[in-house]
Order: sequence, then C-alpha cells, then structure tokens
Amino acid sequence: MVKSGGASQRTRLWAVLLMPPTLWMLVFFVSSIALVIALSFGVTGDDGLPRFGHTLVNYQAILNTTYLNTMLRSLTYAVITVVICLVIGYPVAYAIALHGGRYKNALIAAIVMPFFASYLVRMYAWTTLLSDEGVVNHVLQQTGLSSGIQFLNTPYAVIIGLVYGFIVFMILPIYASLERMDTSLIEAGKDLYHGPMRTFLHVTVPATKAGMLGGVLLVFLPSMGDFVSAQLLGGPNTYMVGNLVQQQFFDGQNWPLGSALTVVLMVALLAFMVFYLRASSTRMREA
Amino acid sequence: MTSATAYVESPVDVAAAKVETKARRGRGVEHKPRIAIIITVAFFAILYLPILVVVLFSFNDKKSLATFTGFSTRWYSDLFSNEDLLASVAASLKISFVAMVGSLILGTMLAISLERVRSRGGRLAGLIALIPLVTPEIVTGVAALLLFTGLGIKLSLTTVMIAEITFSIAYVTVIIRSRLATLSAEVEEAAMDLGCNRVQALRLVVFPAILPALIAAGILIFALVFDDFVLAFFTTGVEPQPLPVRIYSAIRFGISPSINAIGTLMLAFSITLIGLALVIPRFFGRKDNSIDMLTGG
Repeated sequence: MVKSGGASQRTRLWAVLLMPPTLWMLVFFVSSIALVIALSFGVTGDDGLPRFGHTLVNYQAILNTTYLNTMLRSLTYAVITVVICLVIGYPVAYAIALHGGRYKNALIAAIVMPFFASYLVRMYAWTTLLSDEGVVNHVLQQTGLSSGIQFLNTPYAVIIGLVYGFIVFMILPIYASLERMDTSLIEAGKDLYHGPMRTFLHVTVPATKAGMLGGVLLVFLPSMGDFVSAQLLGGPNTYMVGNLVQQQFFDGQNWPLGSALTVVLMVALLAFMVFYLRASSTRMREA
Repeated sequence: MTSATAYVESPVDVAAAKVETKARRGRGVEHKPRIAIIITVAFFAILYLPILVVVLFSFNDKKSLATFTGFSTRWYSDLFSNEDLLASVAASLKISFVAMVGSLILGTMLAISLERVRSRGGRLAGLIALIPLVTPEIVTGVAALLLFTGLGIKLSLTTVMIAEITFSIAYVTVIIRSRLATLSAEVEEAAMDLGCNRVQALRLVVFPAILPALIAAGILIFALVFDDFVLAFFTTGVEPQPLPVRIYSAIRFGISPSINAIGTLMLAFSITLIGLALVIPRFFGRKDNSIDMLTGG
C-alpha cells in the first residue's frame, strides 16, 4: 500500500519535471521547424509578405545552376574542412593525450578557451591578418618573399576560417577516445606489428574510431551551415548555402524561398547523418 | 633498470645494458612521435596568432593593422564614450543572464526526469531536446524568426532570450545528466527511508551533488550566449542590438582598431568565464576535473 503510493507519487513528480522543458521544446523548437517546412511551400504575396501555400515553385527555383553550384561549393568546402581538421586535429589530440604528461589538462584548456571566445571576433581577427594591408602581407613584403598576395575573397580564406572555427570539435572527441584507450595496447601492438607506424594504423586508429567519427560529424555539420566565414573572409564567389539563406531573409526578403533553402540544407544534413551513423555503426561492429 | 645494472660487472656489459635501455625506451610508449609534436606546436602558434594580433593592435596608436607604431589606449576610450555600444553590452549581459537562468532550470528538470524515467515518451523528449546540438545554428535561427513573426511577436531582446534558452537547454541537459549518472538512485532512496519526501530528497541530496556541474554549466551557457552571433542576428529587433550583432555590422562597415578593442575585451571576458567554469568545480573538492565535462570523458 505504502509502496504503490510511493511509486505513483514518484511517477507524478517526474512527469511534473518532464512537462515544462518538453512543452518549451515543442512550442519553440519543433513547431518552429514545422513552420519552416510549411512556409517552404508558400509564396511571397504582391504586398511582399510571405503566405502559406502548397506550391513547389521555391524548390523549382532552387534547381538553377547558381544555387546548385553554391550547394556543391558548400559541400566541397565542408569536406575539405573536415579533412584538414582531421589531419591537424588527430596529431594534436595524440600528442596531448599520450605525451602531454601533467600539462594535459592545461593544454586542452588552452585549446578550448579561444574557441569559446567569440566566433565573430576570431573570424574578424583573420580578416585583419589576411587583408591586403594586413600583417601577413606586410611580412611577405618586408622579407621580399612576395609583393603581396590576395587572401581575402578566396576559397582559401573561407576554408581557413572554417577550420579555425571548428577544429576544436575534432580535437576534443579524439582526445577523449585516446584518453580512454588502454596504452598497453600500443605496447602490445609494437610487439605484434613491429614499428610505430604499423602499430598506429593497426591499434591506435581503430581504437579511436568512435572519436574520429564523432569529430567528423561535429565539424561537418556546422561547416555546412556556416555563413560568417564566407561573409567576412570570402565574397560573392565563395558564398555557401548559409549565405543564400541569409540573403533571402535579410536582403532578398523572399522568405518562402529562404525556407525552401533551409529545408534542403536540413534534409541533406539529416540524410548524411542517418547514412553516416548507420555506416559507421556497422563498421564499428565489424571492427 | 637498477636491478639489471647491479648484476653487470665489466664495462662492456654496462655499455650493453645502456644500449638495451635505449632500445627499450625507443620501443615503449614514451617514444616521442616527432611529427605529431611539431604539428601540435605549429597548431598552438596559429591558434593564438590571430588573437595576439587583435590584442596587440587594439593598443596601436595609429590606425594601421600591419605596423605597430606606439602604445595607446585611445581605441578603448573611444569605446567607453560610445553610448550605442554600451547599450549593446548591457543588452548582451541581460540576454546571457536570462538565457542562463532559464536554460539551467529547464535543462536540469529535463536531465533529472530523463535520468529517472525510463519510458518511451521520456526518451523521445530527451531526443528532441538534443536535436538543437546537431542542427546548424542558421536553421535554428531561421526557424525562430519564422515562429516569432508567425505568432506576431515583435522581435526584441525577449525573442533573442527565448531563442537562446531553446538552444542552451541541450547543453545543460547533457552536462547535468552526466553528473547524475554518477549519482546512484539508491542515495535518494536512502534519504527517503530516513524520512525525506521526494522533493526533499531532490533538494537535500541531488541538488548539492549536482551543484558544481550547475555552476559550470551556467558559466558556460553565459559565455556561449554572450558570444553567440547567429541566433541573435536572426531574432533581434532594431535597438538595442546585442553586442555580437553590433560588432558584425561594424566589421561589414570596415576594419577598424576599435573593433580590435571590443574584441580584446570580449576575449578577456569569455576567457575569464571559461577559466572559472573549469576551475570552480575544484573548489567543491572534486577529483575529476572539468575538462572531462567538455570532452565528454
């Protein structure tokens, strides 16, 4: 009698706790995403205001070469960003996790701090560094290496911005999986495989696969959705999907088209995530 | 190796033992991967280079962004006499504070109920709350803009606060859940056997246990929201603009040393907050460090 009373009281309490945050997320997140999807089938009225509808004109409008090229460009930049982050981030995580000694935590904190400091200010920092009259060009001219290179408005600058902006999301999960790894595995691997390189490929890499997979996802997603790097470090020739969306909502004032672009971005990323997670979980099971 | 050297007598054997020691060291874990270390050093140099440049040139006495001509604090005094900018700072502080309190309350409620309710509905709620973590901010921003416009809510600081709370709940939930997972439900049961009711058990047992995590999460959210540009950009009204939005307009208008000065102050502020978030849990005598919180370890 007492026990069942306790159980129902418990359930009621948890329900009371669960309700407000769930309601909040339903009202302010789920319904807002539903609204984006609904408006993507709408039109802009003659008065310039968005109206709901059930037309595919926005999706047809996206199927022109400018938009398709921009999407392809976003994908290319995001993939290159992921690869660079992996190539730089892995050795950094490796060096800190296995050879950081007692400075490990300090080093990770030193990586994390700038990343939590304003993304905008960090992007701005690169614009001052790479601008025609910036420090990098100044040094190049002073040393006579070059009469000046234009960095801004090039894909290189945009990708530098993306890598700089998101590499921490690659380093942290890899670092965490290296930390969890049993280092005696490496020891054993050296006896088995002879040579540090083969040991690395056969032991360390498989043991940190989960961290790498997580890192790839965490860098790819924000890179695909970014518009600040292309806006500040690039120009119209380097615009990404995010810039198109931003234009439709602020400059173009065609909200239904902007919604359709957002839906395409969402669906593409969702499809990527589903395939990616499924593929990686089977590969993890095989490993 | 001391025991090995005790047995060797002739100099040849000593030499051999030394060679063997070296060989072992080369084969062991302590073997230094030179490439990884070089990359790491270069990485740290590039990581801090832009930040150093921003800080250095904020003290430049000329407008140049390439040559440092002399020390001056003129850009800082410019800032402190700029009314619009000060209003933006105040606006961002307000937004961050409300978003911090709101997301801490909702996120903690969610974390506790998810940890204790094992129903399908509970799992679904947990999943929904985590979606913002993997949604690009521009999508969340567009969605919030449409929602507020659709509901006829005028864009203002309040709309920014609501959007930021929605975005931050997931962070709080993840951090608090990982703390709760280490706290056995039996501790609560014990408290109830000792005469607590459910609410008292939460207040007297669970709350003190998660307090360090709450403080760390709160500071983290404050710093994240204070610096957040994308959501603020999509959901803010005309005036007063949140600080990142004002900086964005200033950058698009052209590079200027006063942006370096704001940037330096914002960097200092965020770094202080993150430093606090990392250090504070230690005051509660926790052995596990808060780096684990960030790396999910």
